[in-house]
Parts: sequence; C-alpha cells; structure tokens
Amino acid sequence: MKRLMGAAAAIAMVAAFSTAAQADKLDDIKAAGKIVVGVKQDYKPWGYLTSDGELTGLEIDLAKDVASRLGVEAELVPVVASNRMEFLQQGRIDLIIATMGDNPERREVVGMIEPNYYAGGTNVIAPKAAGLKEWEDIRGKDVCALQGSYYNKRVTQLYGPNLVAFAGIPEATSALTNGSCVAFLYDNTWIESQLASDPQWADYEMPFVTEDPQAWSIAVPLEDLDQPYGQLMSEIVTDWHKTGYLIERNAANGIAPSPFLQEQHDKLQ
Amino acid sequence: MKTLSNHAPVKGHLPVLLPVRRVLLSDIPLQDRLFNVWTAAALLLAFVAAAVGPSFAQAEAAPARSIAAILLEWTPSLALAFGFNVLISIFAMAIGTVMGVGLGILQVSPTAAVRKTAWVVTQFFRNSPWLVLLFYCILLIPFKVSLFGVSVPFPGWIKAVIGLSLPVMAYMSEFMRGAILSIPTGQWESASSLGFSRGQTMREIILPQTVKRVLPPWMNLYAVLTMATPLVSIVGVNEVMSVTRAALSAEGRVDLLIPMYLYILCWFFIYCYPISALTSRLERRFAVKL
Repeated sequence: MKRLMGAAAAIAMVAAFSTAAQADKLDDIKAAGKIVVGVKQDYKPWGYLTSDGELTGLEIDLAKDVASRLGVEAELVPVVASNRMEFLQQGRIDLIIATMGDNPERREVVGMIEPNYYAGGTNVIAPKAAGLKEWEDIRGKDVCALQGSYYNKRVTQLYGPNLVAFAGIPEATSALTNGSCVAFLYDNTWIESQLASDPQWADYEMPFVTEDPQAWSIAVPLEDLDQPYGQLMSEIVTDWHKTGYLIERNAANGIAPSPFLQEQHDKLQ
Repeated sequence: MKTLSNHAPVKGHLPVLLPVRRVLLSDIPLQDRLFNVWTAAALLLAFVAAAVGPSFAQAEAAPARSIAAILLEWTPSLALAFGFNVLISIFAMAIGTVMGVGLGILQVSPTAAVRKTAWVVTQFFRNSPWLVLLFYCILLIPFKVSLFGVSVPFPGWIKAVIGLSLPVMAYMSEFMRGAILSIPTGQWESASSLGFSRGQTMREIILPQTVKRVLPPWMNLYAVLTMATPLVSIVGVNEVMSVTRAALSAEGRVDLLIPMYLYILCWFFIYCYPISALTSRLERRFAVKL
C-alpha cells in the first residue's frame, strides 16, 4: 500500500511539471515557429489520409490557413473524439479543428471559439428498400452508430432504437451493407456528401428530417480563450465566414453546400 | 534421435557439450516437418486467396479499382506504420527486459523488505490489463517535462513504449525469479565454499545459467508484445491499426474492410511466426533430459 501511495505521489509530482510554465500561448507558438493542430484522419472529406500518407480535407485547409496567417508552420496531429480534449489540455496540441460539436459540457473543458465554423445535424442513412419514413420507424430496430457520438443518447431516449455502436465509420458502414442493422445513425453532412459522390450508395437514402442541429467549433485551451490567442482565432473564423473562404473551401473539397455557411456569410455582410 | 546414438545417453548430459549436429530430415520430428515456416506460409497464402478472391472478382465486375490495387497503393503508408509498431515493440522489450531482470534478482534478495517490495511491484504490473496501464501512461505522463530549465518532450509513442514495458518488466521478473530458483541450491553452497561472495555467485555462476532457461519464454513474450502493439492506436499513436482505419475511411469502400484487416493480419503473422518457430527450436535444443 505504501508503495502504491509513493507511486501516486510520484505521478502527481510529474503531472505538476506540465502545468508549471504558462506564458502567453501566441508568443509560444510564434517562438516555436509552428502551431500544432489536432485534426481528424478518418472523416472524409473533412479530414482524411491519402495513400501517400498526406493529411488532406476541408479542416486541414483551415489548419494551414491559420498557420499561414500566424506566419508559422502547421504541424498536424491526428486525433479521435476520445483523446482530442485531453491532448489540448496536456499541451500536446495548440488547437482542435476536428469536427467537434459545441456544447455546454465541453465548454467547461476547452475554450470553444465563437463564431462556430460549421454545423451538422443528426440523420440516418438507410437502404431505400427498408422504407423508413420518419424517426419513429426505427423504434425497436437495430441501428448502427459510432461509439462516443453525442447524439446516440438523445436518439435512444426519443425513438428507442436498439443501437449497435462501432469504433469507426468503415466498421459501421460494413455492418449496414451486410444487413446487420437497418440504418446508420450519423451526421447529415457526411451522409449527404456520401450519397452525392459515391455510386456504392445508389440504393441508399437519407429518409428523415435532420434533427438536433449542432454547431462545430474550433477550440483552444480554456485559459487562452480570453487571451490574445483566443481572440485572434475568433477573428480568423469571423473572417473565414465574411470573405466566403469557408464556402469556397467547402465546395473545393466536394462537400454539398451548407445552409449554415451561407447564413453566416450573409449575416456578416 | 540417430545422432545421439554415437554418444551414450549419460545422466546429467548437458546439450551445450554436444558437438554440432547435422540435421537430417529424418531427425526432425514429424510434428516439425508438418508445422514449419513453409507450410505456414503456404496455408496463409491459401487462406488469403480464399478470403480476398471473391471480393476481388466482385471488384473486377464493378468499374472501381480492384481491392488488390488499393492494398498495393496503401502498402507504403501501412509499411511505415507497421515499422512504428516494430519499433515500439523493440524499445518496450529492451526497457522491460532490463528492468525485469533487475526486479527478478531483487525478488530473490536475502533482505525480506526488498524481496517483498519487488514481489508487490511484479504482481501489480503482471496482473493489470495492458490497456489500462497504457491509458495511465498516456494520460498521466505530461507531454513534456521541464527539469532545471531543460524541457524534455514526451511524444505519444514514447509513452506507449513506457506503458508496454511495464507488463514486460513484470513478466520478465517472474521468468528470472523462476530461472534463478531452478538452479540447484548446491551450486550456491559450492560457490560459497570456494570463497565466492553472493554477488559474485549471482553474476558469474547463476545468471549465465539462467539465460538459456529464460530465452524461450522471453521470445514468446516478445511475440505476444508485438501482437499487442495495435493497442496503442486507442491512445492516439499513429501505428498500423490507426492508419488502416484511416485508409478504410479515405477509400470509403464497404467491401474493403475484411481484405484490409486480413492484409494487416498477414503482416503480423509473417513477422511473429518465425519468432515462435525459432523459440520452439531453441526450447528443443535446451531441453535437458536428466
């Protein structure tokens, strides 16, 4: 027991080192000559890997634009939903641009930059043959989903499907096409871009009205939100909306036009 | 066992003293003639052909690229990531082995406090899930440590190495304890009667003899460790499993899932099988018939 307590004390001591030096983040980034951005590598076309090992996609374009505005290099670190906020808190990354939905719980952990840069909602992709018409139709049926998605809980409470949660999109879509589940519960932006671009989904549809719109936010460490670093990020996102840069990159990456982007653009004119 | 007929089987006959043998086919036990690297490779190929074949035919019917072409295209990225797995396994094994040998020796220390502490540490890490140890290392070790003005960065893969070396250390500690205790106690008495101190006896008499006893389980442990390295994908290290998942997402092909994971399985098999084959050969070689 003594040994365990000793080990715990040692770990706590080591952890204390990490929070020791906190100067202004913006100066640190400029001094280092690089900004470390956490991005997705498994969320095509927002952030994905090409076969020669390069990260690419809409959010990678955004990360590179942030870096060039600061006059530094962009270092991209692949993150997943379960580790991105820890990485930001630990200081392993300086910025999250990783399809992260903005909600009050997360606002207590990381600094969500306003305005939001994107928005998505909840919908399902299902075979046309399944004949789904409205959300109530999935009650009691097997529906594929992703582990850790924020909308799983809400949809289960409202419509009572039997959720089968997978670790990644490939596993979930594979189960959908095998017929293991009747629909795949996911983000409407992803479903729309898949249906529009990929012939393998020709017999599939997005049958419901998109629900629960969720704004996506880029994030900085909580303590930097009101510092020059957080304020600069906020100005950059505003500028993206104002100049139509987001709409242009959205189209360049082959994503269906987003009503949210248009609305933000018009509002800032 | 024809080669042995030249030498009368002597009680306590040590294999290290045998002359180098020429291995004839008939000398190899039937079991090893059936289960060797070549039959394994042939089986694996047949297995892959059976699994990939149907989807390959499907892909040819469709206008899209064939599965084989996609696998080939991703091979450099996957190879790089697999190299990372190998690197992590080698470092974790090296660190774990060094610490484990030390801990194992402490487990047979004549001082009760040292012996008991070493036992607790060994049992703690040997009986904890590897994934949980990894999570603790990833989340508790800061990403850089500033000591006396020098900041030492700790990237994710180094944390993964530390996380995986802890269970290796604990297993190694048990192997060492077992090996040291398996040396007949008479040797300690003889050594002390010849004026060897305890440290000298350990270094010059006992430890050299433990090497051949520890080697086979040590190599098994390495094979198990290598196959456990995909665990680190869960803690955000970009090894072969993460890259496979990213490749599957980028391709967005539903029929790619099974062949791609199978492809990765083959890589691990081809890397790990020779190790286990070599281990069983060493085990036979060191088998002492008393």
